[in-house]
Parts: sequence; C-alpha cells; structure tokens
Amino acid sequence: MFKLFRLILPILFPSWRFFSWIGPSPRVEVGFVTDANASPTDWLSIFPQPEKLSFASSLVRLLHNPQWNERLYINTCAEHLFESHSEFHEQQIAQRLLSAVKSGEIIAPEAAQYLIFRIRTLVSEHEKLTENFVFISRSFSLLPYGVKK
Amino acid sequence: MTLEFAVRLAEIILGFAILQQSLEFVRGFQPEKTLGLIRALLAILLILGAQPLLVETALIITSVILITRFHGPYNGGSDTMTVLVLGGLWLSHLAPSRYWQEIALGYLAIQLMLSYFQSGWVKVVNADWRSGVALRQVFAFTVYPVSNQVRLLADRPRLLLYMSWVVIIFELLFPLALLHQTALIVALFIAGLFHLANALLFGLNRFFWIWPAAYPIIIWFQTRLMDVF
Repeated sequence: MFKLFRLILPILFPSWRFFSWIGPSPRVEVGFVTDANASPTDWLSIFPQPEKLSFASSLVRLLHNPQWNERLYINTCAEHLFESHSEFHEQQIAQRLLSAVKSGEIIAPEAAQYLIFRIRTLVSEHEKLTENFVFISRSFSLLPYGVKK
Repeated sequence: MTLEFAVRLAEIILGFAILQQSLEFVRGFQPEKTLGLIRALLAILLILGAQPLLVETALIITSVILITRFHGPYNGGSDTMTVLVLGGLWLSHLAPSRYWQEIALGYLAIQLMLSYFQSGWVKVVNADWRSGVALRQVFAFTVYPVSNQVRLLADRPRLLLYMSWVVIIFELLFPLALLHQTALIVALFIAGLFHLANALLFGLNRFFWIWPAAYPIIIWFQTRLMDVF
C-alpha cells in the first residue's frame, strides 16, 4: 500500500519541471552471443531515426505512434537503470528488445542464442559531447520468447 | 461557460485522449494490451456521456493498475495530466455540494496553469535556457528529435535562442491570461500550437491530445474567478 501511495502522490501533486536541465541522454545498444557468459563483440544501435518524415507521416504519428512511445518508455527505463540498478527496468527493456528481434526490427546473427544490452550516455560538458558506458545487462535467452526455435 | 458544460466538454476531449492512448497500447504487451481494450471501450462511453461517474471510476481503477504495472507513469507528464483531469472530473460528480465540485475543478485548473508557469520558471532560472544552449542540447543529443532532419535544427543557435525565449515568456505569462477571457482563449490557442510543435518535433503526441482536455475547465475557472473578484 505504501508503494502505491509513493507512485500515486507525485501524480496527484505533480512538479511540472519539463526539461528543467538537459541531463545525460541514454542510448541503448544490443549485442548477441552464443554463450550466456560471453561478451558481445559488436553492438548495434536500436531503432535508428528516419532521415526525414513526410507531412502525412507526421500527421499519422500525431494520432497513433506506439513505437515511438515505446522508445520513450525504453528511454525512461534506461534513465532509471543508470541511476540505480532495478531488475524491473532491466526486464522491461529486454522484453522490448526481444520482441523487436522476434518481429525482425532488430536482426540477430544466425548463431545467436542470447541477447545482451548496454546503455551509453551522451552528456554535454562545456559545449563538448562526451559519452560514458554506464550499464551492461545480464544475458537474456532468445529461446523462451520464441525468437529461436 | 457553465460548470456543467465545461465538465461535459472536458469529458469528450478526455475520452478522445484516452481512446488515442489506449489504441497505442493495443499493439503492446500484456496486460496493458487487455487494459488498453477495456479503456478504449470506457473512453467511447465517456465521449457518449453514458454513466460518467461509473465510467470514470473504472478509468481511475485501470489508471492505477497501469501506474502499478509500469512502476510510475508510462508516458511521463501526459499520464500525469490524464489522471489529474480524470480525477478532477470524477470528484466533480462525486462531490456532495457545488462548493466541493468547484474545489475539485479549481484544483485541476490551477494544475493546468502551473504546468505552464512552473515549466517557464525552471527554464528562466537556468542560464543554459536563457542563452539557448539547453534547447540546442535537446535537438543535438537527446532522444526526442523525430528525424535527423529535425536534429539539424541544433545547428541554428540564433533560431533556438529566439525559440527558447518565446517558450519561456509564454509559459511565464500564462497565469496573466486568467485576467480576461479573450486573453485566456488566445493563450490556450497558442498553447495548443506549442503542444502541436512538440508532437511534430519530438513525437510527444499524447501531450497534444490530453492537455486540451483541461482547457474547458480553466475557461470555466476564469469565469468563476471574475465572479468572485
């Protein structure tokens, strides 16, 4: 019950501090391995941005844009993860990445058995962009999600 | 605008906003997929004005389930505003007297006003916002720009400096619009354009639909304030 109040109270008495400062911006990258304890050699950026959007496509996205909102949710989870570790947020990101592999949005190598993701942050310091690797996940099997048969 | 008309209009806009959010969930994972379907049906009932107290009670219960499911809001401020509008309208039906109805809806109107004013305040006290650097950073490296073409706006510092100040001044001056109904309607129209720009540039589409749901309430609130003073 206490946990529920902790979640609800900031919604009932919100602080509207939109973009009060521009903090580190997370990027999630995914890698694949054949062994659960191995480290990926290659990391792929997920959900690359389109070069440009047509006016019609922007209008459709105004009405219905589930993929983008999922991307923003992954971003929220990533921000939680580099603040402090949370099994829940790690699972949430992994679930979405596995689903993207299953749908073919992310292409896994033929031999891949496990997925691992990492979070790097981009931050501007004195007008210079720097990056840091702040989190690496455990390995997630591709089997139970039907990604591999 | 009368309180009853403002509530009805707000419920119709809220219904559309919840329908929009719910249809996005239908393509997602369980349990939000099922919750999305349930909420879509409830949103249609809300638009039609059928049993608003019961429908809003069910929407509040499903909102709490979603908040628990995601350990907080799924879509940040847009979920917060959805719950505030829903809560304000629900309390207005539940209130034992006109006085408590006005308290509930007044709280919603004040939160709407603060959503602009406080956002402006946190920007104006930040040197990076005042110099246009913060907005340049938003375009340059945050996840929000919807395309590489939009990201290129980071290379136009003068334009971003003007844009920063237009946003800051508008947000800070928003409470003054409560002094006159025409000023308020103009301010709400500009605010709608601001949310449209955020949706087109940063993909914040849910904000564009949910914020106007509170607009009828603040228009009623302004009329009520003029009666008092």
